[in-house]
Amino acid sequence: MKTRHELTEILDFIAEYATYLLGSGVHTSRAIRNSQRIGQSLGVDIQLSSFQRSTILTVRDDESGEAITRVVKIPTLPISFERNSDLSALSWDALDEHLPLREIRRRCDELTAKPLIDPIFVLLTVGLANASFCRLFGGDWTAMAIVFTSTLVGYAAKQRMQAHGVNHFLIFIISAFMASLCASAALRFDCTAETALATSVLYLVPGVPLINGVIDIVEGHILIGCSRLINALLLIICIAIGLAATLLMVKDSLL
Amino acid sequence: MIALDILLDGLFAAVAAIGFGAISDPPMRAFPRIALLAAVGHALRFSMMNYAEVDIASASLCAAMVIGFGSLWLGRGIRCPMTVLYIPALLPMVPGIYAYKSVFSLIMFLQSLNDPGQGMQYMQLFFLNATVSLSVIALLAAGATLPIFVFKERAFSLTRRRRPADRPGNARQTPPATDSDSPENDPARSEV
Repeated sequence: MKTRHELTEILDFIAEYATYLLGSGVHTSRAIRNSQRIGQSLGVDIQLSSFQRSTILTVRDDESGEAITRVVKIPTLPISFERNSDLSALSWDALDEHLPLREIRRRCDELTAKPLIDPIFVLLTVGLANASFCRLFGGDWTAMAIVFTSTLVGYAAKQRMQAHGVNHFLIFIISAFMASLCASAALRFDCTAETALATSVLYLVPGVPLINGVIDIVEGHILIGCSRLINALLLIICIAIGLAATLLMVKDSLL
Repeated sequence: MIALDILLDGLFAAVAAIGFGAISDPPMRAFPRIALLAAVGHALRFSMMNYAEVDIASASLCAAMVIGFGSLWLGRGIRCPMTVLYIPALLPMVPGIYAYKSVFSLIMFLQSLNDPGQGMQYMQLFFLNATVSLSVIALLAAGATLPIFVFKERAFSLTRRRRPADRPGNARQTPPATDSDSPENDPARSEV
């Protein structure tokens, strides 16, 4: 049997844990499963349902029948697969090793305090990735070099704007515009200019919300799945707007 | 020559997957497997489309299913959920050229409102390209998710520490991230 204080402590931790997962790009059913697993290890029943911006959780002590509910805001965090893996593993460790709440919290804080991947490393690999992507679409070496450079410009701009907390729709529009504008330099060279222009903005494609949306929908969390897809769609429209601005400027040389 | 083309295709897909994956902060231990999955998946789609004349949508579905099952198999060794491996691996298969052509033909349609004949042509191009992009993206996501339904038990316990029977006692000291045994000696493989 748990006292009300203990139940509240568990609820607060699970609220933090589940919203952290949802905020860093974990699909809904995994967040629910992980939270319930931790609840099971602590001897309580946990139910939660989630929307795009907030989560409702209930913790119930099966012996006394006492239940507490909270609505928690989902924080906006950078997408992190590392947190996803580590925190999922933590939930299994909690269950298999019967960890007390204090220990779970300590490990959780340790895992979430780990630094994110180095931004310069990300910048360079994204540049290389987009250049290879250009190659996959049949671009030649000149086009690849141009795509590499314009991706560096666009992605660096995105990182700077994110650091300054600019609205993310604006970030996508400006970053897509800058990258495609740089890539339109390819029209001056004798190369596969159209491929260069087309690939230059693809590093922005919001792959994680797109795929999470589909996963959520097929697993029955249709509402949040649609929210994710609409969110991804808005970002794709922003990319299209940025690209369209460039295309309007250079369309005569493309026809 | 054909073999070289396929290998190169896989290589570039691997680089693309690593870079696009890096945006989403995957654990360092996952990179080799992401690259492998992306290379196999994209090379498979490339060969199917170029040598077996399969259309892009069906080829993407097959490749996505291979990537999905591959992530189920490779995720255990490094304690990573399937999505951590397969989302980056799917990204090089996003139909970028079709998406670009949809945007381009939409703009050209809006620019040629005074010329209905040309406008219709651009509208047709817009629908063609948009349909291909949307179906390929939907099939990619659905194909890779399929293994979760087929092997529920295993897909949900990829991040579990292995051999729960002999754990209490010594395993407590090891932090979760250091478990990086190769999947070759994974006893759980025989369950599938």
